Amino acid sequence: MKNAKRKTLLWMLILFGVIIYFPGRMLARHHVNDKTAVTDHPLKCTSCHVYTSKNKFVTSLINEDYYSPFNIAVSHDGSRLYVVAQDTDELLIVDTESNVVLHQLKVGVHPHSVILNKANTLAYVSNQWSDYISVIDLAVSKVTDTIKTGNGPSGLTLSADGSFLQVVNTYGSDLSVIDLSTKEELKRLGTGSDPTGTALSPDGKKLYVTSRRSKIVPYGEPLVSDLTEINGETLRVGEHHNIEEAYMMENITFTPSGDLAMMTLIRPKNLIPSVQIEGGWMMTHGIGVIEQGENGRIIQLLTDEPNSYYSDPFDIVVSPDGKRAYVSNSGADRITVISVDSIRAILKETPKEELKNIANNLGVSSRFVIKRVPTGANPKGLALSEDGKKLYIAEQLEDKIGVLDTESLQMEAPIDLGGPSRITVARQGRRLFNNAGHTFQKQYACYTCHPDHHEDGLVYNMAGKDMGRNVTNTQSLREIGDTPPFKWNGKNQTIYKQDGMRFSTVLTRTEQFSYDDLDAITAYIKRGIKYPPNLMYNPHGELTESQQRGKEIYNRTKDNFGNVIPENNRCYTCHPAPLYSNLRTADVSTLAVTDDSILFDTPHLGNIYASPPYLHDGRAATLEEIWTVYGEDNKHGYVNDLTKMQLNDLIDYLKSLGGPEQEEISSQTQETASF
Amino acid sequence: MKIHLKYPTLLVLFVMLVISSWGFVQPKERTEFIKDTSKTYGDKNQTASEKPMPIYGNWISYDSKNGLPGDKAYCVKIDGDRVLVGTHEGLAVLENGNWKTYTTEDGLTHNGILAMDVDPLTGDVWLGTMGGLSRWSTGKFENYTQMNSGMPNDLIYAVTCDGKDVWVATGGGAGCYDTYTRKWEIFTEENAPMHEPWTYGVCASDDKIYIAAWGGGIIEYTKKTKKFRDYVDPDGNMEIDLFPDDGVVHDITTGASWSNGMLWVATYFGLSRYDGVHWKGYFDHDSGLTSNFINYIKAKDDIAFICTDQGLSTTDGKNWVNYTTNENLRKGKTIIINGDDKKVMATSPSLAHNFTIGVDVEGDEIWVATSKGVSHGHLMK
Repeated sequence: MKNAKRKTLLWMLILFGVIIYFPGRMLARHHVNDKTAVTDHPLKCTSCHVYTSKNKFVTSLINEDYYSPFNIAVSHDGSRLYVVAQDTDELLIVDTESNVVLHQLKVGVHPHSVILNKANTLAYVSNQWSDYISVIDLAVSKVTDTIKTGNGPSGLTLSADGSFLQVVNTYGSDLSVIDLSTKEELKRLGTGSDPTGTALSPDGKKLYVTSRRSKIVPYGEPLVSDLTEINGETLRVGEHHNIEEAYMMENITFTPSGDLAMMTLIRPKNLIPSVQIEGGWMMTHGIGVIEQGENGRIIQLLTDEPNSYYSDPFDIVVSPDGKRAYVSNSGADRITVISVDSIRAILKETPKEELKNIANNLGVSSRFVIKRVPTGANPKGLALSEDGKKLYIAEQLEDKIGVLDTESLQMEAPIDLGGPSRITVARQGRRLFNNAGHTFQKQYACYTCHPDHHEDGLVYNMAGKDMGRNVTNTQSLREIGDTPPFKWNGKNQTIYKQDGMRFSTVLTRTEQFSYDDLDAITAYIKRGIKYPPNLMYNPHGELTESQQRGKEIYNRTKDNFGNVIPENNRCYTCHPAPLYSNLRTADVSTLAVTDDSILFDTPHLGNIYASPPYLHDGRAATLEEIWTVYGEDNKHGYVNDLTKMQLNDLIDYLKSLGGPEQEEISSQTQETASF
Repeated sequence: MKIHLKYPTLLVLFVMLVISSWGFVQPKERTEFIKDTSKTYGDKNQTASEKPMPIYGNWISYDSKNGLPGDKAYCVKIDGDRVLVGTHEGLAVLENGNWKTYTTEDGLTHNGILAMDVDPLTGDVWLGTMGGLSRWSTGKFENYTQMNSGMPNDLIYAVTCDGKDVWVATGGGAGCYDTYTRKWEIFTEENAPMHEPWTYGVCASDDKIYIAAWGGGIIEYTKKTKKFRDYVDPDGNMEIDLFPDDGVVHDITTGASWSNGMLWVATYFGLSRYDGVHWKGYFDHDSGLTSNFINYIKAKDDIAFICTDQGLSTTDGKNWVNYTTNENLRKGKTIIINGDDKKVMATSPSLAHNFTIGVDVEGDEIWVATSKGVSHGHLMK
């Protein structure tokens, strides 16, 4: 009797389990299908509910704190490497004989570059998310001072006599000249947009600053980027050179004789429909060569090959004998070794009128590329030993320093910085994000159009076969995890869907990511990409008087005449805090005749100051233009009653907006990425 | 013969009217007034007056026939080895003896350039035009308008670089652009003691900004406290300066310039000078000022260079040197008034035109913008 009862109970439990399991599984399947837009994604709850968790305990379990070496300097005697560890906010001092990290010095947030003075007694580290330079006394290996800079300090140079430190301010798009005797900023010179690279000529008379974003031009016009030439003696801008049809000029260097300056660059074909991807030759990568003689020509040469691209050239250095240049291709995990003499020969024999054609010639690289050397993941900054025999490579996503023997052109054993050996899901996602291996002919990585995980400021003709139809402005990927749907038309309700099958169909034109890789890249995009702190417009987390007034306008319900503003025309209705998006689509009267008839996804407004141009097709060059030029009918917010001063206040407030975390933590203590 | 007049009283009145009006229509010998009023100049300018006034000559003029894109020159600036001239038809630059013109085709926001200043630190040239502000940095223009930026208004009458800030006086208020944060701040009658938003001039001292506001006198802005105060004509009379030296001579101000602790204020009704404590007024009828109608003023060291509709006046507060011209003959006069002494020197060639609109001085060189070209003079030694 007892057994019968037990059996009955057991059968009931099994029946209950079956009832729960099958419909439950079916529901789960529906749920996953809905989120991924495919029917065969594995039913792994961890994909969405663990890897993208915001729970601090969970994230501490699934993630690691990597060093992510970004830039390097090497001492005169070659015995020490000074490595910028971007994700731990440290400068690592490495003994090159024992390959041991001797010191880990805490610097500011998100350090970018390091430079040594001539005597090798001091190191200067630019802290891009802290807006200051850390001064390190190398005799005692301690940070002894800090120097205030402009917004987003990155590339560094010292004047020929060592009395001035020149600091490139990426977010401010200018250059701070710092008098090292007083440690005060002497002046700030305007540069191109989003600059990072800088180099001083060997005679100290000329300083170049490269920009990464192009100037804002209407869709249809070829892009132009700025190479700023500064007189090294007067410290005034000597010339703004137009670099045509190129951008992302990350770094620049001079040959030791000073006959050439060489910089990295990308030549995007953003004006042609993206169906061209499968034809190749859409995103091309190369170098710019600036002749220093009387000719003063600026020539662009692709380092790609007809069926194989070497994406995201980052750093460039030239050997002490001036015969070789080394370029780190961050998206291809390669070092491209270049014969500078071959480039000199090309310059000599190429008439001026043919230079433009050469800039688009995928075959020309065969004339000057000596070798492609494989590296660890995501090679960034390079440093040559003084004798030129060793090239040190900051392998950012490998947590190692690669070492290239420049005579044999063989990689030696890398220097392990001692970071975590485990590759987390998000770290794998970051590697995928930065690698072009998944794109047709490896033309570009996600990073290429989303440098710094942000956006490249360009407007693209996405997917359509018709030239100039449905053009869209690249959107930032910073802190987008909680702001679905995605794409300007809001068609993708999740990042899974955005980066899954549709992604490969539209963008990569190859096989889609494996589901493990899709899990990884989604985890990284959703949680691994942080805003830089808004030190320009909201450095202390407190609104200025003008921003306070702007906030009142943002939240107003009545216009200047006391009339009630319709709810749909109020700023906060569509852009409510803390995400500043209601996650819906809307008609704000910006549909162009070249657009399909759609509503537009309401973008979030975090760090909006850093994302010009504006509106879905980038038609508004500034935030002001959204309303002064394109807001006549009051459909994109009710603004036409505002005075100019009120509009300025409103925009000042918009520029102060960061992400949801901004109100919780001080920008100075913002957590570093741990992916 | 006895003459009988029908209306003898009327005749007497008519004769008296003619005699009494004689003084109004006859040109005054200004030295007489100078003699009368020179005793009142007892202030800190005494030392300056002991220095001889600089006298410029050997004028060479340029217009559309020999280098400028047009005849009307609104402003001029000496920038190292080059000279920049803002004309109605664009920016003209004289460098190595050659003129080059930049227009909207080169990226300039508007061809009518009314004002300019050069940032002494960066070398950037800021051009105030009839259609916005252009930052000209070695051949490249970056444009700011009321549509694409927070700038108050596109009609810009004056530009002044002050450290990292660029101040503009516009038809819609004064504006301050912070080149570091790229933010505009606007000052109008809504948030400053202005009569209306129309502003004509702006200049900077070490710790203050002075804005010449139409109908609002001079608006003083203290950089540290961000507080305003205004200086208006205390007697409030729009026709005459009722009480001399009681304040700025008129509320309708057209320019301001500060140098060596002295603020000089231009109006269409005379000239004012303010030493931080006392105001002093100058008019064409009681000083060496060539005309009360002042278009522009620039102070350099202890000397004020005053652009009027009747020529260029220069003064240290006591002594005057005026430059006028016969526009048809291109011959003119240099009138030197040292206290009671007045000398008139014929100059040929002279200024391009009496309607002077802009001036700049550097070392031994002076450049004057006029409605018929720009004139270049040298210090006479």
